Amino acid sequence: MQKMSTQTNLARFVLLVTVAILASMLVACGPAADTAVERDTLTIAIGAEPESLDPVRMTSAPAATVGEHVVERLIYMEEDGTLTPMLATSWEANEDSTVWQFEIRQGVTFHDGEPLNAEAVAINLSRFVNPDVGAAYAFLLGSVREIEAVGEYTLQLTLAQPFAPILSHLSHSFIGIVSPNQLQGLSPEQTFEIPVGTGPYVMDRWSRGDSIRLSVNEDYYGSTPQIPNLVFNFIPEESARIVALETGEADAIMAVPPADVDRLQGDPNIDVVFQTAVRTIYISFNNIREPFTNPLVRRALNHAVDKQGIVDSIFEGVGFVADAPIPDAVFGHTSVGPYAFDPDLARELLAEAGYPDGFSMTLHHPTGRYPLDSTVAQAVQSMLADVGINATLETREWTSYLQFTSQPPDQAEYDAFMLGWGTVTLDADYGLFALLHTRQWNPNGNNRGFYSNERVDELLDAARVETDPARRAPMYHEAVQLIWDDAPWIYLYNAGQINAVRTNVGGLIHHPLENLSAWDAYFR
Amino acid sequence: MYQYIARRLALTIPVVFGVSIIVFGIIRLIPGDPARAMAGVNATPQFIEQVRVRYALDQPLPVQYGRFIVGFMQGDLGNSVFSGRPVTTEIGERFPRTMLLAVIALVIATMIGVSAGIVSATRRNSVFDNASMFIALVGVAAPVFWMALMLQLLFAVQLRLLPATGIGTIQHLVLPSITLGTASAALMARITRSSMLDVLRQDFITTARSKGLHERVIVYKHALKNALIPVVTVLGLQFGILLGGAVLTETVFAWPGVGRLLVDAILRRDYPVVQGTVMLLALLFVMINLVVDIIYAFLDPRIHYQSGSGE
Repeated sequence: MQKMSTQTNLARFVLLVTVAILASMLVACGPAADTAVERDTLTIAIGAEPESLDPVRMTSAPAATVGEHVVERLIYMEEDGTLTPMLATSWEANEDSTVWQFEIRQGVTFHDGEPLNAEAVAINLSRFVNPDVGAAYAFLLGSVREIEAVGEYTLQLTLAQPFAPILSHLSHSFIGIVSPNQLQGLSPEQTFEIPVGTGPYVMDRWSRGDSIRLSVNEDYYGSTPQIPNLVFNFIPEESARIVALETGEADAIMAVPPADVDRLQGDPNIDVVFQTAVRTIYISFNNIREPFTNPLVRRALNHAVDKQGIVDSIFEGVGFVADAPIPDAVFGHTSVGPYAFDPDLARELLAEAGYPDGFSMTLHHPTGRYPLDSTVAQAVQSMLADVGINATLETREWTSYLQFTSQPPDQAEYDAFMLGWGTVTLDADYGLFALLHTRQWNPNGNNRGFYSNERVDELLDAARVETDPARRAPMYHEAVQLIWDDAPWIYLYNAGQINAVRTNVGGLIHHPLENLSAWDAYFR
Repeated sequence: MYQYIARRLALTIPVVFGVSIIVFGIIRLIPGDPARAMAGVNATPQFIEQVRVRYALDQPLPVQYGRFIVGFMQGDLGNSVFSGRPVTTEIGERFPRTMLLAVIALVIATMIGVSAGIVSATRRNSVFDNASMFIALVGVAAPVFWMALMLQLLFAVQLRLLPATGIGTIQHLVLPSITLGTASAALMARITRSSMLDVLRQDFITTARSKGLHERVIVYKHALKNALIPVVTVLGLQFGILLGGAVLTETVFAWPGVGRLLVDAILRRDYPVVQGTVMLLALLFVMINLVVDIIYAFLDPRIHYQSGSGE
């Protein structure tokens, strides 16, 4: 009898604990389910936290996405690549395009009340290129030799030599203009956490690891956004991001995995948005290593890979087979491909090159860096096997992969490696020069496959300084054709991006630069 | 006792020193470069060189280690290579959140685990015993991320009772702490049960029973106190594990704690953050072990901590 009562007490205790937990869950019932009632806040879930919102420390797309709402730059790049005035209302260059004058927008104030003028812009740009500050993207303005406010609202940039893409470089999200008050007294190494810009939203709070909160800038010079509050939540786990959208905790999410598209499309409250991106995924050969010194071999491998099959079956049709080394949204693109998927032709080319029985090679690839990168590498491996090439896969985690593929020519220990490149300025210079110019061989630049073609070098050099688009475009067209025929890479695909939005939200801008912008958003 | 505590505290110095060498060395043994991790494929050689200089990564290893250890003793862990912010600030913001999650998970685990263990032991081979030990087995075996996703699907997506991710309210704590506490609860239930069974079989319990004592007094006063010694050990260790090992839970529930900070830092080769976080966790682990040893003395009077005897 005593024994029984002891146990009943204990059992009761356990029960009590369970009930307590359940009760606390039920208490939660109200707020969790009713978040949809308050419609003054738009919540966007992104996969990674910005490293910083100080322009000189920014390096990632998430930082650009959040930062754009708060800090503006001189020129804005529209979704179609058109450059439109932002903080600069107009610009003109001297005859040889080495001196540029920008008229700065008048009547604009920073969020702290400080007025915008040419001096404020000059202070920002000078900081961005200051070697002591060490901005990761300072190279964007590498051609700029002098920055000067020559009038209250006139800014002058002097270039060391003509640099055609200077305007698109100035439109880069990382070249933001913040209040000079914020920079006053900052040593070169110092940075700030909460940027004070001129943008449509003001940054209120950064809860590290969790979220960034913005509220509308009532004094915005353009049209004031309709939604008063904006929250960016950082949810690294893909499935958790989807759950957050399904429950309404998030109104929009970025980077939906292709495999979950069906699940989201089945939900009547959710729209799945497909948008192009400017990231090209390719497998580069080590062009100075046998047998990849032979263009026949390189072309053969291009014919051996079923690019459309990869896009269709691995990415559920989201993305485009590459028809040039740069995506088609980029200035200077011309469609020269793709290499037809033709294993027989591949075998013939291999035989012609002296490898009738194929050969063995190592294919290096990162994991978890690009969507489904390992899966793509495996698919390529099996396609190469079909034409007699025995490719061994070598997988590396991203940071060590980067290190591994950044060796000088005499130390590079790879046959071929998979990589992606975003041409974020939508200008061919950014997508071709750093990757394919001979002077950019590792370790001087990012030509990790040691491709070299004198004519291509000439064209890329000439197109850099030629400022007339009508003359530039044909130069790039010729270069693209040469690069295509040389086949220093296996051209794979241009990645697409998949976002998802709840159907009651409209007006979001899904930018090809992988930014999601909410200043025109509204609730239906 | 105080002498013992002082001596143990003094012993933490070589332990922490050893940890510092190991963590400093291991993170540098992994291939990869913080500057490249930061700027990605676009990194220019000039930038990479600049980052090396800025974070003294161009210095010989002993110099780097010297800077690190001197800074550590002055409470300065350096700046994060990734965000540029002081490491102490980064950890300071996230640590309380992990602490909160770990404490609640541990409280849940202890309440459920110990009481289930006691009931199972006293009603050995009953339906309750078998059922709870089966659940405990599943609890120990179930992968944390699976558990987390299932709880999210059930309580957030289907029932709409709880938020799936984020922080801020008490409701946000429920799913992560249950996820985190489950494995510990299951482990504690099994340990409590077996330890309790051992004790209940001993002679002094038979003596107590033959004296005609209440079963309640026997279980709670005589048996439980003895049975709790291994449980306390596990509890201490579990607490350390919960603090440092909440990475999966923190990731799935987007809980911005120190575990995620550490994993992100490792992936980015953010040496200062990795060093600082591991040092902190190591220090805590040492402290928790000390506290566990002290609790032993209260639970078991036979254990003395005077020098020369009883250790």
